[in-house]
Amino acid sequence: MQARTLRYFLCLGLLVVFASATYAQQNQNAALAPPVVVSAADKAALQLFEKQVNDYVALRKKVRASAPKLSKDSTPEQINAYRTALEESMRNARAGAKRGELFRPDTADYIRRTLKIEFQGKDRRELRDTIFETETQGVVLRVNYPYAQSAELSEMPATLLAKLPQLPKEVRYRFVGRNMLLVDRESNVIIDYMPDALP
Amino acid sequence: MRRLHAYNFLLAFVVSATLFLPVPAQKLTNNSAHSAPPKLMLPVKAGSVRFAVIGDTGSGTEKQRNVGDMMVKYRALFPFEFVLMMGDNLYGGEAPQDFEKKFSEPYKALLDNKVKFYATLGNHDLPLQVNYENFNMNGKEYYRFKKGNVAFYSLNSNYMDKKQVKWLEDELAKDTSEWKICFFHHPPYSSAKKHGSDDQLREVVEPIFIKYRVNVVLTGHDHVYERIKPQKGIYYFVSGAGGKLRSGDVSETSPLIEKSYDRDMHFMLFEVAGDQMYFQAISRTGETIDSGLIARKKP
Repeated sequence: MQARTLRYFLCLGLLVVFASATYAQQNQNAALAPPVVVSAADKAALQLFEKQVNDYVALRKKVRASAPKLSKDSTPEQINAYRTALEESMRNARAGAKRGELFRPDTADYIRRTLKIEFQGKDRRELRDTIFETETQGVVLRVNYPYAQSAELSEMPATLLAKLPQLPKEVRYRFVGRNMLLVDRESNVIIDYMPDALP
Repeated sequence: MRRLHAYNFLLAFVVSATLFLPVPAQKLTNNSAHSAPPKLMLPVKAGSVRFAVIGDTGSGTEKQRNVGDMMVKYRALFPFEFVLMMGDNLYGGEAPQDFEKKFSEPYKALLDNKVKFYATLGNHDLPLQVNYENFNMNGKEYYRFKKGNVAFYSLNSNYMDKKQVKWLEDELAKDTSEWKICFFHHPPYSSAKKHGSDDQLREVVEPIFIKYRVNVVLTGHDHVYERIKPQKGIYYFVSGAGGKLRSGDVSETSPLIEKSYDRDMHFMLFEVAGDQMYFQAISRTGETIDSGLIARKKP
């Protein structure tokens, strides 16, 4: 009778250990977030995205040449004049720009899948909450217009940036709620945005 | 008799009105900021590297100016050469008048005395701040500078992309400085309830800090003071209440806390002399919150 009870508890103990190990492994996998599978269609979409971003940067360089110069030790007035001139010149140069021109459906699909995988798991849910906590009141999502200066900027998670398509230094990703933005680093103008990017 | 009553009534009215009149904001805050005389806990050794630390400053409030004034008082005893800024340098707008109200004016006395400020970007700062003359960022979002035997790395924790990670690793790999201090906005470790530890950032930067023997990490973001128990040999500080305060935000039960303070704003002083680094955290009113010594571990 005693041996039978002992065997019962031993089996139960082993079951608990096995279940805990499986759970821990699942959590670890979620934290490590496996890479997104990149299909041939994805590659083509990403190449096009990269080309469009580079075209934006080329246009920006051309426009910037006629903007007031900005040195490394500028006054607030010079910074303001530069930002305003760049913003207005780029708006004119990209007149008629529409949402979805850079985040085309194929590119958006790839990015959404990347975000979905990256935001799986308990710790990633906390990360999602952090992004939603960012105070972005006053931000109007409008292509070719600036992100509200008074609003907070969401921190782009370092682990996520390592997985998203790389951007030149002039352009940045940013979140506003569930939306993902592409913004000009210096003028703070929204180049494009993708609604419901976050899962 | 009736006239006497009338006078009494008038007198009572005047006294009451005086007592209940609204006090101008400036007067109120000045009265509430009873200053303790500066009491320095640092040794002021000859040839040491001396600096101050402020974080989350750019509110433009009277209390931010109080902190600035207290820094001036302490500088008379401890002539620090420069100030590290932990980000959120300008809240709520970056027009020229914002730079004036939220930076130049509160620290005017220090700027007039040629004290240099080295800034880092917070989540309320636009990247063009890197070009502002008084932030000494030299047009860069992440940069390194050296003072004596100490190398300082200002990082942009808003956007820790692959390029920045590679730059940090490359720079640290060739750095032979005795002390390596990294400063940026988001804290890898924090016991504050509002934000707390930034796990994602930590996942990326901590292995690099350990590999290249970074000694001290200074951050802000949470509007409190906290000295974290050393983590894997590295000393972490949160100094995010130089212009904003989140009173009662520190989770007292956190196992990370070595020392914390969330009752008032503060700034910090540091002195590096050879293998020793002394620090002192001081409240807006001049009270010493924390002080101590960090000894450098030789490789």
